Amino acid sequence: MGLKTLDKITAALRSRPLELEQLRKEGKKVVGWLAYNIPEEIIYALGLIPIRVGQGGDGRLVEVGARHISTKNCVFVRQALGQFAEKTDPYIQQLDLVAIDATCIQLYRLEELINFYFEYKTVVLGVPRNFASKEGHEYFRKEVEFFTTKLEEFAGVTLEQSKLEKAISLYDGIREAIKSLYHYQSLDNAPLSWRDVSSVISAGYNLDRQNYLELLQELIAEVEENLTESPAGKEIEARIFLSGSLIPPGDTKLVDIIEQLGGRIVGDDLWSGLNFFLNLEIKESTPFGIADAYLDRVPHGSLPYLDLKSDGRLANLKHHLHEFGADGIIYHTLRYCDAFTFKAGETKDVLGKLPFLEIHTEYSGSDFEAIRTRVEAFIEMIKSKKEIAELV
Amino acid sequence: MSFIGNFFAGVDVGSLASKSVILKDGDIFATGLLKSGVNSVESGLSALNLALDAAGLKKEDLTYIVGTGYGRVSAPYANKAVTEITCHAKGANYLHPTVRTIIDMGGQDCKAIRIDEDGAVVDFAMNDKCAAGTGRFLEVMAEVFKVKLEDLGDIALSATDTVPMSSTCTVFAESETISLVARGEKPENILNGIHHSIANRIAGLFSRVGIASDVFFSGGVAKNTGMKSAIEQALKVTIVRPEIDPQLVGALGAAVIARSFAKKEGLWA
Repeated sequence: MGLKTLDKITAALRSRPLELEQLRKEGKKVVGWLAYNIPEEIIYALGLIPIRVGQGGDGRLVEVGARHISTKNCVFVRQALGQFAEKTDPYIQQLDLVAIDATCIQLYRLEELINFYFEYKTVVLGVPRNFASKEGHEYFRKEVEFFTTKLEEFAGVTLEQSKLEKAISLYDGIREAIKSLYHYQSLDNAPLSWRDVSSVISAGYNLDRQNYLELLQELIAEVEENLTESPAGKEIEARIFLSGSLIPPGDTKLVDIIEQLGGRIVGDDLWSGLNFFLNLEIKESTPFGIADAYLDRVPHGSLPYLDLKSDGRLANLKHHLHEFGADGIIYHTLRYCDAFTFKAGETKDVLGKLPFLEIHTEYSGSDFEAIRTRVEAFIEMIKSKKEIAELV
Repeated sequence: MSFIGNFFAGVDVGSLASKSVILKDGDIFATGLLKSGVNSVESGLSALNLALDAAGLKKEDLTYIVGTGYGRVSAPYANKAVTEITCHAKGANYLHPTVRTIIDMGGQDCKAIRIDEDGAVVDFAMNDKCAAGTGRFLEVMAEVFKVKLEDLGDIALSATDTVPMSSTCTVFAESETISLVARGEKPENILNGIHHSIANRIAGLFSRVGIASDVFFSGGVAKNTGMKSAIEQALKVTIVRPEIDPQLVGALGAAVIARSFAKKEGLWA
């Protein structure tokens, strides 16, 4: 789209590995983490450098990871393991500690393996299955407290209230900015696309968080300046909403196919996308307050549906389908990402008549044409409601 | 020789067969069907030329051509490409406007399609990327029993028993079949089991999209009487058979859509 701030973000990313290397020489420590419930605020407030880990789309790294884990584990976990095994990724090379939350049991297994085989220092954050209950909250409070103690020992400092408050404020700003970008990308006169926003989120895995927030604010200002007049008489488009398993940085297969076929992605409820930034209201600037807020936000898909009628994920999905004006939903499931695969049918039933396509895939290219046919037919189906039905 | 009328063609290049249908205004005028070769452009053109020859037409006589099937991505002879899912829907609707559900079993995939009264797709599901439940699977089974592909269904219907087949993976099913033969099971009973195994797998596709009457069976496998019977039992429905070769339904739908595009683009009033 030619937004200058996007170029600045790309440039910042280019220099970031060297920057990290220099910071570590100066005594700073880097904490890599995945996946959904690690409270970055605490890592940051302790003066540690958080790096969000986990990429997709590389079949070769999946095979490397599969040497150490069952092929019945999802490709994302296998690729992540492959990354830790190879240590060629410039960010993986800089990690002094890896923090993993046990939201997804497969990722919990990843922690055990990288600790056992590759001798990474690791710390695990337990996550309750009964996340909506009082007992679940009590458990998670203790887990976050324990996690904080472990990080304090690692950092050699004690968590200070004032630093935690500043960190929370910083992360609140990042969350608000990402939500704004999602709003803008869904507009007809948007100067940036969902793919652009997704790239910006990916950049946020690695960039210095203060610098990242400043870049986000600059980007929003530039987007607002470049909003054009809404086009009149525009072509009928298929507005696609993505749901299901994560689509991490590097995994572009499905997104490429949708866009090549003329579909327009207008939103998502992926834990690698918008969901991560939603509904996180820290009412008390303490580890307990953070624990409650993380548990009360839109739950991760790996946690069970406890009540279909009141489940926050489904309410959130319905809300955003409406907000982003989606014509249909593509529910993406990775092979052996069972939590999402099992929820596909229920989700389809709950959404009723909204066009719904489940795409079950992995990181190899062998199913490219099969996916292409499904997505193309889905886009035709959506457009036919507006266009082709009138023709015949 | 000149013709009065407008001609629209649909070309469906599948993994095993290439098909074409020419419509004259609104009626089926000519068809072509042959085995697909390695080159999908040539296969599509050959199928189109077959129909053109049968009709006594030249390519220039065609007002509009729509390509479909897996070869649609390389169909330079076509004005537009449309997926086979949409084309089967339009083809079935053309033949039987009361159809609401389509089972399409082709060479490399199997589809469950739900359509509305206009022949527009409202939902669909396809088999996984393996060959189970496809024409290729049945081809392999025909090779195992050294019988003609077109005889498989009748042989299955002559069975006195159904030998359960635990695997629908083509490779595993082949070795399981050989084991069953070695165990002394009768070929017709094994084939009956294979047909029911595929039918049950197809029934699983419909758990995603639902089923409503009338139910229509298209694609090359729809010629298999044993498969039709097994699916009717698995889905507890009566299947409507097309009056034309069921393998041509996708190409017919493509031709119907070609006519629509021609109208939209002002090429045909």
